[in-house]
Amino acid sequence: MSRNLKRLAGLSAAAIAIAWSGTAAAQEGGGGSDTDTKNFAVVGNVPAMCVGGTLAGTGATFDMGVLIDVNTGLLRNDLAAPPKILSGSFCSARSTITVAATPMAAQTFTATPPAGFSRTVNYTATAAGWTETPASYVTGAGSNPAAVQTRGTAFSGDITVSVGSFSTGGGATQRLVADTNYQGNVTVTLAVAS
Amino acid sequence: MPRALGLETVLVVGGFLCWASPAFAQSTVATKTLPVTGNAPPVCAVGSPRLEAGSQINFRGLSGNTLQIDQMVDPTTLAVAAASVDIKFDAVCNYPHRLRLESQNNGLFPTLQRTQPAAPGFGSAVPYRATVNWGVVNGVLNADAQARRINEQRFNVDLPTAGEIDLKLTIAPGSSNTRDNAPLLAGDYADTMRIFVEPR
Repeated sequence: MSRNLKRLAGLSAAAIAIAWSGTAAAQEGGGGSDTDTKNFAVVGNVPAMCVGGTLAGTGATFDMGVLIDVNTGLLRNDLAAPPKILSGSFCSARSTITVAATPMAAQTFTATPPAGFSRTVNYTATAAGWTETPASYVTGAGSNPAAVQTRGTAFSGDITVSVGSFSTGGGATQRLVADTNYQGNVTVTLAVAS
Repeated sequence: MPRALGLETVLVVGGFLCWASPAFAQSTVATKTLPVTGNAPPVCAVGSPRLEAGSQINFRGLSGNTLQIDQMVDPTTLAVAAASVDIKFDAVCNYPHRLRLESQNNGLFPTLQRTQPAAPGFGSAVPYRATVNWGVVNGVLNADAQARRINEQRFNVDLPTAGEIDLKLTIAPGSSNTRDNAPLLAGDYADTMRIFVEPR
């Protein structure tokens, strides 16, 4: 056993010697006679970065359809839409997830609505799956302390974005003015945490 | 050797800048925006009528959609007795619309058509006045009972309106289709009033 190891070591040393001698011979053939050595540092880093995922299934729009009870003109109390899945999101470092949203607002009827009417619908937007406590944002609220959530570690996974808890701007007794297009936006932001 | 060190430094710095640019300018923040949309179709709705408390004079009340006058004539003169009532309807129209008030008979007329001409000196129909308040509208319909026909008034409403339609019906004492305080022929008298909130 010991003899075999020695033999291997000997063969290994011989192989290195052959390689260097080949290099020396080539240099001699090119006219040079010195040997030189340069050291190059090979360095790299992995930058802290976040990449948003892609949407699976249907498009990016939460289409809520008809917003009102046509018998009363009041906001429907059964508004719901399937959540959207942002697949393949990742952050390579500690990160924050932020949800922001704007109320759904009548896009054609832009004047101040008359008494008893409203042109906005508030709702809660939630982004779950990234942090233990989902990030959520209530449009029309004075403050949204839950809108920003922090994750201490790098992560890759799906983010489930959902909307719910719809309410009429100005109060539940207000009716929505007729309009073919009410629109708001939910914005989900992943960012490297400092 | 110093030359080699200098080259090494340049390579390191160059490599760092090369990563730094895309990493920090483009990828430390990722954002997705998802629209939330819906629509509110044009809607008008009118609820069931209800009596304004304490508003009725000489009316028995509201039964379903029927208002029954209690004493139609003064028992001593047979002239029409005064009567009034205030009815409210919850209503909403979430777009510019029109309010239409329609009297089917243009007054209270006998429910059974007479085959004989009315007796001279007697009244055979009862005029009344309807006033309506709805949002910015303050309207009047005078059902003068001079002829049995449909009589209607239309009021354009430029704004979405929600609240109550307030309808007041008033029969003046002694009112008649012939002359004031004429005695009224015996019979049952009726009219149908319709309220529409509709597209213009």
